[in-house]
This record gives sequence, C-alpha cells and structure tokens, in this order.
Amino acid sequence: MTIQDDAERRDLSSGDRMPGGLAPVRGFFEAHRSISVIVGMALVGLALPLVVMLPPFSTFQAGAAWMNNFTLAGVYILLALGLNIVVGLAGLLDLGYAAFFAIGSYTYAFGASPFSGLHIPFWPMLLIGALMAAIFGVLLGAPTLRLRGDYLAIVTLGFGEIVPIVFKNSDTYTRGTNGISSLYPPDLLGYRFSTIEILPFYIVMLLLVTLAMILIYRLQESRLGRSWMAIREDELAAASNGINTVTTKLLAFALGASTAGLAGVFSSAKLTFTGPDQFLFTVSFTVLAMVVLGGMGNIWGVALGAFILYMIQSVLLKGLNQFFDAVPVPILSDIDFVQYQFLLYGLALVSMMLLRPEGLFPSKRRRRELHTAAPGDDAAATPAQEAGGALQ
Amino acid sequence: MELSVLVQQFFNALTLGSIYALIALGYTMVYGIIELINFAHGDVFMVGAFTAFWLLTVPLALHGSVDNPVLLAGILLLIFTVVMVFMGIVGVVIERFAYRPLRNAPRLAPLLTAIGVSFILQNIIQVVFGSSPRRTPQIFGNDARFDLLGASISFRGVFIFLLALGLIFALQAFVGRTRLGRAMRSTAQDREAAQLMGVNINRTIAITFFIGSALAGAGGVVYGLHFGQIGFTIGFSAGLKAFTAAVLGGIGNTTGAALGGFFIGFVEVYSGQFGLFRWSEALVFAVLILVLVFRPSGLLGQPLTERA
Amino acid sequence: MQRHVRFAAPLAAVALILAACSGTGNGNNASGGSAGSGKKVTIGVDLPLSGGEAPNGEPTVKGVQLAVKEANANGGVGGYQIELSIKDDAVNGVHNPDQGATNVTELVSNENVIAMVGPYNSNVGAAEIPITAPAGLLQCSPANTAISLTKPDAEGKLLRGDNKVSYVRVAASDDFQGPALAVYLHDILKKNTVFVVDDTETYGKGLADEFVKKFEELGGTVTGRQGVPNSDGSADYTSVLTAAKGDNPEAVMYGGVTTTGGGKLRNQMADVGMGDLPYIGGDGIVDGSAQTDGSYLNLAGENAANSFGSVAAIHDIPDPEGFANKYKTEYNEDPGAYSAPAYACTQIILKALEASASGATDMKDLRAKVRAYVADGGNSFDTVLGPVSFDENGDTSQKIISMYKADTSAGDWVFDQQIDLSQK
Repeated sequence: MTIQDDAERRDLSSGDRMPGGLAPVRGFFEAHRSISVIVGMALVGLALPLVVMLPPFSTFQAGAAWMNNFTLAGVYILLALGLNIVVGLAGLLDLGYAAFFAIGSYTYAFGASPFSGLHIPFWPMLLIGALMAAIFGVLLGAPTLRLRGDYLAIVTLGFGEIVPIVFKNSDTYTRGTNGISSLYPPDLLGYRFSTIEILPFYIVMLLLVTLAMILIYRLQESRLGRSWMAIREDELAAASNGINTVTTKLLAFALGASTAGLAGVFSSAKLTFTGPDQFLFTVSFTVLAMVVLGGMGNIWGVALGAFILYMIQSVLLKGLNQFFDAVPVPILSDIDFVQYQFLLYGLALVSMMLLRPEGLFPSKRRRRELHTAAPGDDAAATPAQEAGGALQ
Repeated sequence: MELSVLVQQFFNALTLGSIYALIALGYTMVYGIIELINFAHGDVFMVGAFTAFWLLTVPLALHGSVDNPVLLAGILLLIFTVVMVFMGIVGVVIERFAYRPLRNAPRLAPLLTAIGVSFILQNIIQVVFGSSPRRTPQIFGNDARFDLLGASISFRGVFIFLLALGLIFALQAFVGRTRLGRAMRSTAQDREAAQLMGVNINRTIAITFFIGSALAGAGGVVYGLHFGQIGFTIGFSAGLKAFTAAVLGGIGNTTGAALGGFFIGFVEVYSGQFGLFRWSEALVFAVLILVLVFRPSGLLGQPLTERA
Repeated sequence: MQRHVRFAAPLAAVALILAACSGTGNGNNASGGSAGSGKKVTIGVDLPLSGGEAPNGEPTVKGVQLAVKEANANGGVGGYQIELSIKDDAVNGVHNPDQGATNVTELVSNENVIAMVGPYNSNVGAAEIPITAPAGLLQCSPANTAISLTKPDAEGKLLRGDNKVSYVRVAASDDFQGPALAVYLHDILKKNTVFVVDDTETYGKGLADEFVKKFEELGGTVTGRQGVPNSDGSADYTSVLTAAKGDNPEAVMYGGVTTTGGGKLRNQMADVGMGDLPYIGGDGIVDGSAQTDGSYLNLAGENAANSFGSVAAIHDIPDPEGFANKYKTEYNEDPGAYSAPAYACTQIILKALEASASGATDMKDLRAKVRAYVADGGNSFDTVLGPVSFDENGDTSQKIISMYKADTSAGDWVFDQQIDLSQK
C-alpha cells in the first residue's frame, strides 16, 4: 500500500498530527498512514494491559476489569470513528446514531441466538450487521439528506427515539423489554470465546479498531473524503464543482452507520445479550460528545476523545469514592460521589467546551476553517435564515 | 366513539397540549435567534415545576385544595409571577455563562454545553429535593368541574388552556408590536445587520432567554398543578416533545410552535384512546420525520429558499 | 427525609455540597470503624445508584450497609470483618448491562469477594449471570423478577449454562405474584372485569402478563390493557383512562412500580371519575408509608383508598416493625421497596459465611462453599422477610404472598390476608 506523495494530499493529511513524535518520524508516519495506525495501535494494545498491572492502576481494580473496560471503550471508539465520518468529515449532524448501534446489535441477536434458532458465525455476522446498519442508514438518509443542517439533526434524533421503541414494543419478534439473551459467543478455529475470558475479545477489538482507522484514513484521503470535506465547507460550491452532493452525503451516512453496526455486533456478542434500554439518547449524545471533545475530523483525536470520555464515565466517576476512601483527603473523602456524577459530568462538559470548543485534538484543517471563517458563520446556512427568517 | 368520549379526549388533549405549547415557545424563540437546540430548556421547565412546588409547600404551606376563588386567584397570581421571573433570571444566567462565550465557536460546542447544563440542573434538583417523585399540592379541588356534552370538564383544565392561550397571544403581541420584539426579529434575521442598525445584540438575546425560560417556568407550574406529581427527570422527554412541536410548527414561528404543541397533545391523547399509548412517542417522531421530509420548513414556516 | 442544602447557582453548589455532605457521607466504607483487627472478607454490591436510577438503588444499598454494619458491630461473622465493594451499574443515569458486566468482572476477579448482592434490573442480570455462574460467585438479587433469569427460556436455554446455580433471588418471580393478585381480585374481592395498565418495563409487564393469564383462567374478563412507558415520570394517563372508562371495568390492575407511575395513575383515575374503583398492584407499589416522600401512599394521598398491594413474603415474620425502625434510626428516612430484600440477601450471605468459614482452606474455597451452602435447598435462612430457602433454580421456595390494603387515615398499608400458592 503506497500512498502517492502529491503535494495536496500531504497538505490534507498534515492536518492530523500524531500525538507526540519527532519531526522526521512524524514525516514518515504522515506519509504512511496505515503503517502508523498499525504501529500505534500495536503499541497501545500492548501498553494498556501492562500499565494496569502497575500501581496505582492495579490497586484500583483488577486487571480483568480493566481489560473489560478497555474492550468496551473500543466499542465506543468504533462508534465515535463512525460518527466522525458523518459529523466530522461530512459535516452532517446525527443525533440518533445509537439507532444504528441497536440495529447492528439486534442483527447479531437474530443471526446467532437460540431465540431465532439461527447460528451464523460471528465473523460473517460482523459484515452482515454492518450491512444492515448501512441499509437503514440509506433508507433514512435518502429522503432526509437534502434537508440542511439542524433539520437533519432533528430527523435523526426522531429516528434514534423510534428504533428502541420499536424493538421494545415488538414483543413477538424481539422478546420486547426483556431483550434477547444467551446469544452465541464468537468461535475461532475451534476456540470458543467466553464471557469470562476478556483477552480474546480485547484482541479482536484492537483489530477492529485498527482496521476501521486504516479504512477511514484511506477514505478521508480519497476523492470521496475530499468531497465530504468540500461539502462540509461549502455545499453549494462543492455542488457547482461537480460533486454529487446527495450520493456523497448518503455514502457518509451509510459508512458511518455501518461502523456503528459493526460495534453493535461486537458488543452484543461479547455481552451475549441485547435489550432495548441499551440504545437510548444518552448513547447517541455520549458518542457525539466523544467526537466533539476529541476534535472533529481528526481520527486519532476522536479515538482518544472516545477513550478518555468512556474512562471518565465508567471508571473515573465510579471510582472517585474508592479513590478518596483509599487516599484520605479531608471533606472529599466524606462525599458520596455517586450522587454527583451528573453534576461533575455536566460541569466537565461545560467547562471543556468553554475552554476549548474545537476539541482537545482538532485537525489543523478544521481549525483553519474555524479561524478564517467569519465569526458565527458556520458551514451551512441555517435553516431559520433559509426559511426566510426567524421570529414571526 | 361516543360524543362524550370524543369531547372529553379533545379537552384532555387541549390541556396536555397547553403544557407542550408553553415549553415549545421558548425552544422556538431561542432557536430562532441563535440557532441553538437548547437541550437544557426542558430542564428549565423542570426547575420551574420544583420552584412552584417549593413555594406552595414551604412558604405557603399548602397541602390540599383552596376552595375560596379569590384566595385561589391570588395564590395563582403569586406563584406564576414569582416562578416566571425566577426562571427568566435562571435562563439569562445560563445564557450569560454557558452559551454567550460560545457564540462564535463551532456549532456543536453550545449544543454539548446545553446538554451539560441540563445534567447540572437535574443533579442540583436531585440533591436539593431528593430523587423520588414529589407530590404537589392540588390547589384546584377535584370536584370543581362542569358537564359539557356529556363530558366532565375541570376548571383546572380550563384555566390551564386559557392561561396558555393568553401567554401565547401576549408573546405574539410582544414580538410583533413592541420595539424589543422588533429588535428580536431583526437579530434573528441577520445578527450583524441588526447590530449595525443599533440593536444591542447581547441584551436582545438575554431578553429572548428571559421570556423563553419564563414561559417554560409557567409550563412547569401548570405541569405540577395538572399532574400533582413532579420529579427531577420530567424535563428531558417533555423538552424533546416540545422541541418537536417547535419544529413541526416551523422553527422560529411562535404561532407554529403553539400549534405544534397542541398537535402533539392530540397525537398522544388519541393514541391513548385507541390503545396505542406505548407507541405514542414513536408516532410523534414519525410524524415529525414525515413533515420534515415533505414540508421541511414545518407546517407554518415559509418554504425553504435555495441559498444563493 | 434527606438533609438538604439549598442554593441557586451551580458554582456555589459545589462548595455547598462539599460542606453539606461531610456529615452524611455514605461512601464505600459502610463496614465502619473496626479496621485493623482480624481477617476480612468482601461482599460485592451491584446496583444502579446514579441519576434517575438513584431512587431505586440508594435505599437498596442502604439495606445491605445496615446488615453489614450490624454484623461488624457484633464482632463480625465466622471470625471475619465484612467489607463492601459497591458498584454502580448506571451510566449517564440509566442502568447499563455493559457496565453491570464490567462490575461483576471486577468482583469475580477480586478473590476477597465471597458473594454479591444485586443486580436491580433484570436485563443487567441477564448480562451478569453468564459471568458469575462459571466463576461460582454467589449473586443474591433483591429485586429481579423476570422468569427467564433462573428458568429455561422457550428454547430450553439457561442463562447459567451448564454451571451450578450461583444466582438466587429473594423476590418472587412474576409467575407467583401475578397469579396471586388475580386470585385475590377475582375470588376475594369478587371482581369479574378489570382494566390493566403496565409500565412496559420488565417487572411491570411481566407481572401484568401473569396476572392477565390467571385472571382469565379464573373466568374473569380483561376489558382492556395498555402499556404506558413512564420511566421519567412524565406520562399522562388521562387519555388511556378515559378510553377505558367506557368499558366499565370493576377494577384497575397496575403492573409497575411507583416511580414509573403507580401513584400518578391512581390520582388521574380520580380525575376522570374512576377514583372509587379498587386498584391493585404488586410489591412495586407497597413501598412504605405516606410519610415517605415519593411512596405510593404519599403520592396518591386520599386517592389511595381502596388500593390493594401484594408483598412476596409471609406476613407472619417475627418483628415486622423492627426492620423499618432500625432503618429509620440509621438513615432518618423510611426504607424503600427493596431495602428489606437487600437486607435479607445480606443476611443469607452472612449465614452462609458463618457456616462455611471454619472449613474453608482459602478465599477461593470460601467463595465456593458460600455458593454451595446458599444454593442447597435443604438450608433455610431466617431473614427479615421470614424463612427463605431456594429451589433447584435459585428461586425462593417461599410461595406465600401477603395482601395489604391501603389505610388512608393511618397513611399505611394494613395486612389483609395471605395467599398460599403452593396449593394452587
């Protein structure tokens, strides 16, 4: 896999910096995206299990629990990477992204559970789940993608609300509120994955994330990726330059959805269970927060943002009590932090946005857009203005 | 369906729709002027409901119905005034500290901030009032009702509907006829041009938040009066439905938002009538999607013009 | 009643919270001050504790903490002091099976954990049992009622797979409580027609399903049924009730808990002129006296007259008031619906620990012995819910349901009679 060294491409990719690294090394990795992703993920994948064996991490929770957390963080990284295609690259706001996660998850439940009587192996199910989600993405996107800006956001929000309700109320086909349990775990060459052996899931997740990152990098630097960014920056200009905006946006929507479908298949296979309460608005919103927080458009940034936010939600906020019980600090040790999780999370979101609205690791290109654009003038004109304006 | 049931359900829908309409007005105003989906708005409504609860139970120490009509009117006037002013101030404070610094930031930043504010408001109410639902005093006696075409209509419901109608018309008059209203409309249409014409943008936006939040506060009071029970989680889905109402009506259009609110009230009530209540939320959103696909500017919005 | 601080602005809030909580903190160290002396074991807890789930999880975890505190104050159990490892399975304020799975993974891999209490939600249980069963970690759920957690599903699959029973529950599964309500309404209250509302959640819907099945079997008629999702408490029942009123049901049955609308439904029945009809529900509405904020009797007030509720335990326990009083003394509030079951779960684990402590070679062995002792149907446990033992699936063998009637003048539930399902 060689990447041509043409000037424009270099300019595009230089926006997405590796965190850290020396200049010549960086130059090499920027020219060889796939290698950099493989090396980076291999290093991270090796480092994480080792780091948690050391104090203070090892005293905090057991290695297996950490590995479980990392694997689930991987699910959110996949989700964030997929949503990044839609929101970060193509500039389409999707507030119901969890719906595609749900579709992937239920696809696996239908394909591999005693409930349906089918047992399609996990590996093809990954593709089938991604495909199903993509189909629904196209079905939703085709009539709605011509809507601009926030109207699309609202339609997706509605879709995100409808999907779990349908799964919940269709008792005969989904076992309703109880969810579908006893899903078959993955098999590989005679080895059967089990819910108590985390490591195989962790490795599969590492591979999935690596693969997704490579594909998304290549997409981003392809003609399609450039079309997305062109649409994001100025849809009308993009259209007049011969880009088929509807197809291009539809592809972004479908690819984003398929990544969520993939995550859904993995997550339900790991949990051996899926139910309608797992895909509520909070999931869509959490993933969106991950994308924005990490820095829209920057693949490594989004992945890191997802990892950090997942760890804050699922480990840090839950562990504050334990931490302050172990490390006595006057006053702090007496607080029951569980009660204030929402407050802390809300404050964290507000303050992060106030201090760094472009995200922790914004792509250079994106930042340039934001800083050269006139204040308040975002990518697309606002519907209210288009609608001839405002308060009547 | 018998006529009496039809009338009764129609009335039920008007009452429920009034609450959604009051919340939707604030949504549509804020969206109209700064294009922000203010996810915290539903929680402003919720805080309004708790403020009224506190006023009724602590300073007024009321627990049952108030049968003297003069006294009842006085209490209502007091509650609505205090809650609306207080929530207006809360709205202005939120705008000042959470949204104004982000006015020129990427579009998504204030959206996430709004959700952050929503979490903060919920957690504060949870800590102050506890996490279980609370009983609000039913100051309207349940026997205060009259018959209409075989349906039993409560004065409470009539009051709620008339109040919502009154506030909607007052808002119309304010936005359409006053100098401040004109400033709001011009800011919504083109912020920079308005500024050049001497409109104080910050003040205009703050006033928009004040009015929108005050109306949500009124919605909160009404909610408590009507349902007799509130909890710190009631804001989110009510807000979501109200926002849907605003979009249905044509965002930025106050009449449309009010009508959208009533429309959602009708969808919910009639899905209950026909045994489909568990699908009502899905129905509301399905209607929303259909309306946006076939008439993207909403029911009362002007047709979408192609950007030049 | 909790101690409250009042404040206006979020920033001021933080400072005040710090101050207000220094007196009431209830962090993980419920075991109290006996640290440093002797051997320790840990009991795990997994419940939804944050956000909208707090009213479910908080009073439940306090039940566990109370039992452990008492045991430690009495010098521990079997030579051990008890510690708790409390996990929250709510993420962003909603119970989350993924988080539950992570939590039990952590508990399973901590060798000091000999057993655990939880979870609260059946779908969390469905994600946890496949992890705890192969590890042989005893789970005692105070609240799960979904039939599928312990019994084979329609396809004959068990959640625990081929492993031995490691999950037990003190709540009667829906196939007991629902029929008991049907028998009571039909045979004792002599009502032949009923309108059914459920909250579309696992507990409520399951209860209503089983109720309907039995009520129709007894010859009664269900005039209508609607699911009203109300997890955030904002649903309006008037339309559903107005529609139901036309069929003139003689009673209304509610499958659900108070937080998903039990009290509001009753109040709105009065609004539409159905306030005089009998109203019957499961233990989800028998959740304390009218003095408890947010309990059914508190929310329904005067409208609670003519309400009936079941509790899946025999009424004739040694000291019915004792637990409520102890709890109130400790926490200055009334117990929640699942405080006593959580306390009972803890009692069961402690009894098993006492019986197993001397014979165990190491912690791993102790965990295995505790599981085996609890799962053994021959062992009976004296709990705050009365004597409990578990059948071959880990379900409570207690087949007696007690019926209570609301007394609005006293503001409390009054025992009416017991229904013994072992004869049916």
